[in-house]
Amino acid sequence: MSLIPAALATATALAGAGALAGCALPYRQRVPVVGVLTAGVGAGGCTAGAAALSGSRWSAAFPGLLPLAGAHVAVDALAGLFMAVAGAVVVAVAVYGIGYAAGHGAHGLGSHSAQAVLPLFALTLVLVPVAASVSTFLALWEVMALASLLLVLAEHRERVSVRQAGIWYAVMTHLGLVLLLAGFALFAAQTGGETFAALRAGAHTVSPAVRGLVFVLVMLAFASKAGAVPLHAWLPRAHPEAPSPVSALMSAAMVNLGIYGLVRTGFDLLGGGPAWWWLGLIAVGGASAVYGILQAAMASDLKRLLAYSTSENIGLVLIGVGASGLFAAYGNRPLAALALAAALLHVVNHAAFKALLFCAAGAVLRATGLRDLDRMGGLRAPMPVTAGLFALGALGAVALPPGNGFVSEWLLLQSLIHGLAVPGVAVAVVLPLSVALIALSAGIAAAVFVKALGVGFFARPRSTQAAAAKEAPRLMLAAMALLGAGCAALALVPGLLGDGLDRAVDAVGLPGSGAVSDGGLKVRLTDVSATLSPLWVAAALTTALALAVGLPRLYGRRRRRVNARLWDCGGGAPTPRMAYTATSFAEPLQRVFDDVLAPEQDVDVTPVRESAYLVERVRFQHRVPDRIEHRLYEPVLRSLAGAGQAARRLAGGSVHLYLGYGFAGLVVLLLILAVGW
Amino acid sequence: MNGGLYTQLLDLACGLFLLAAVLVLWVRELAVIVRIFALQGIALAALAVLLGAHEQRWDLIGVGIGIGLLRAGVLPYLMRRALAAITADRQRYGTAVAESRETQPLVNVAASLLTAALLTLLAYAVARPLTELNPTPATRALPVGLAVVLIGFFVLVTRRRALAQVVGFLLLDNGITATAFLATSGVPLIVELGVSFDVLLAVLVLQILTTRMREAFGTTDIDDLRELHD
Repeated sequence: MSLIPAALATATALAGAGALAGCALPYRQRVPVVGVLTAGVGAGGCTAGAAALSGSRWSAAFPGLLPLAGAHVAVDALAGLFMAVAGAVVVAVAVYGIGYAAGHGAHGLGSHSAQAVLPLFALTLVLVPVAASVSTFLALWEVMALASLLLVLAEHRERVSVRQAGIWYAVMTHLGLVLLLAGFALFAAQTGGETFAALRAGAHTVSPAVRGLVFVLVMLAFASKAGAVPLHAWLPRAHPEAPSPVSALMSAAMVNLGIYGLVRTGFDLLGGGPAWWWLGLIAVGGASAVYGILQAAMASDLKRLLAYSTSENIGLVLIGVGASGLFAAYGNRPLAALALAAALLHVVNHAAFKALLFCAAGAVLRATGLRDLDRMGGLRAPMPVTAGLFALGALGAVALPPGNGFVSEWLLLQSLIHGLAVPGVAVAVVLPLSVALIALSAGIAAAVFVKALGVGFFARPRSTQAAAAKEAPRLMLAAMALLGAGCAALALVPGLLGDGLDRAVDAVGLPGSGAVSDGGLKVRLTDVSATLSPLWVAAALTTALALAVGLPRLYGRRRRRVNARLWDCGGGAPTPRMAYTATSFAEPLQRVFDDVLAPEQDVDVTPVRESAYLVERVRFQHRVPDRIEHRLYEPVLRSLAGAGQAARRLAGGSVHLYLGYGFAGLVVLLLILAVGW
Repeated sequence: MNGGLYTQLLDLACGLFLLAAVLVLWVRELAVIVRIFALQGIALAALAVLLGAHEQRWDLIGVGIGIGLLRAGVLPYLMRRALAAITADRQRYGTAVAESRETQPLVNVAASLLTAALLTLLAYAVARPLTELNPTPATRALPVGLAVVLIGFFVLVTRRRALAQVVGFLLLDNGITATAFLATSGVPLIVELGVSFDVLLAVLVLQILTTRMREAFGTTDIDDLRELHD
């Protein structure tokens, strides 16, 4: 099949042209040209991915492309799935980005550097799954990290917080790279080859302890890229501060690649492993799911809320991947295939609705300059299309029918519930617990998105910016509508993805489960079978809704409708200040989870100088800090800073001392060489 | 030239080369140190010319003569001038003796000589696998170059006077040049030209710095420069 290489070569060429155009063209032409070329990159990736999902494979080696080892590439269905998702997201977001950056000034996303880097970032998103050797993978991975870092920093002139977010992101992504490098280097040294084929072939000769170490190192790196708790600290910083199209790309495409790396390494290269690997993964996933959605419930910054929700969804995916590995470790391969299919389907669904939500949040940000939900409100009237599309995305995110998130979470729950058939104490404890965690996170997610939609778009505007909002440009709406159509398709006819999903699961050596097919969702195990047709569920819901709305109207037509002022108990007309804000909406939840969240309150009363009983001013401050960050990161940062201070003593100022360091280093190195021979 | 004579002459040149480096550690008088350095330059030039004559490559002989002119002629001349400038106007205060001598090295002379012996031993130990690859007379002399590199570095670390530092740096560079000649049987002319030019410039800059230091602080003891820290 020559479709895959042709599509990938086109994507690469378009990305190169896009980078050049971003450097060279003046502002007016730059944004549309780069946007179109980037969309082309995405289309190329999507085509190649779709071809791989429909069964074709491709592999090649380019010896001269990278020094020493050369570049190796291979495309199978698993890579195809992630390429197709990334490509589709890139297409929509690139079109959206044209509208977003146009008329926004030549700074920020419209600047030369950002526009030159954008196509490269898009290309690496598509190409990372293609890599088939350690050096190729790491090179693409690092280019992706650097490109995304530059894009996160695009608006560094507007806000100081962007720089801080950039530093956090840079440090964490490079720590991840170090772990990845260590893990893969160890693995490659043990198997004697660095291509994925050699790793796959040699994995069984490696001792279990080394395999475990490799898995832990690689898992930490990929989990940090995916934004799983407790390695998520960069995510709620970088996603809100990046320009919205970049947030959408990072949250809907880049984060997925962490999952890809985990599945590729854990299942394919290492060939599965003992139960403790996967129990650890489930623990990380469960913590991410619950903690992420709790923090999202507390957030009043719309993009921060979406970022924490990404953490939650990645947690769900990790539970699925972990469960799949666990079932495979106990030998129940059909169930393992089902869990993995559910996890991969959730990756696809999450990409669709999260891209849509970030784009809609970007449209709001562009129209009002606001990210703070407390100051929005009433956006439905001036921005009806954006509000409708945000509602569609939110429906996907809350995991209720007929949203697309429901489909994959239903499959995930099915696989976990039926997993109780697998023997073992750990399984009997962990599986019910994770079912409960998923249910809890789904429940809180409903509250989160009711808050985001209701407080942000309904009621009355709570600030002048929100009152003066205008609908987003047509181009942005068209791109969001594209993503919305994707969400709807995934929600109603997930069967379209069925065969591809089976091939992707098959690519890591598990049997295809046929879980998703034309007739809807099917769970077929040895002694159980369950079926769910999303289309019928949606139809039933629509009918029920129509009946619930229509019957009373028919029945109550005789009654005359009187329009009168709302009875207000003599308090005057309701003002915007009476409406729920994001903070007040989340307050009951915060009370329930008081011990977990540990909110900080600070009341500061300043009396008048003459009398202690007359109050001049009351200051009330309320914060919900990220507790994991407090407990885990701050001690580390403090000790690092302390070590840095102590190390200053090494630099005494004497030239002889500095020369002595060099001399001692050289002599010690030579001694080691001499003795080591 | 027959093989035996060539080997003996090569060993003699290398011996002189190493001996000069060790003598730099032994002697305290800066003027004598400069003279010893010139002697080492001659040994290095002889080394290059011998290699060139053995392999009958005229460009190598040319490089050798160039090295001799630079390292035994120009550089010692520059250093003598710096030394004269330091001592000239100091004589009326009676401190000229202190300025022209390396009175108090950080490691005393006896210990320095012992260290030089140890460093030479280390150089031989490290270079053994390299020598085993292709045991010719030239590669067997390779450890000498490495030893001079280490001794030069040691001079840099332990000597206080700025001029002694310059000599240390040049010893280091001589060692590197010798290693290059012995290991590869001759560096290309263009490379050697670049290196020599670099060294010349470095010495010119250091000469100016030394004079400035004396003007600013009244001494050329680099241990007085302690501002360079975080």
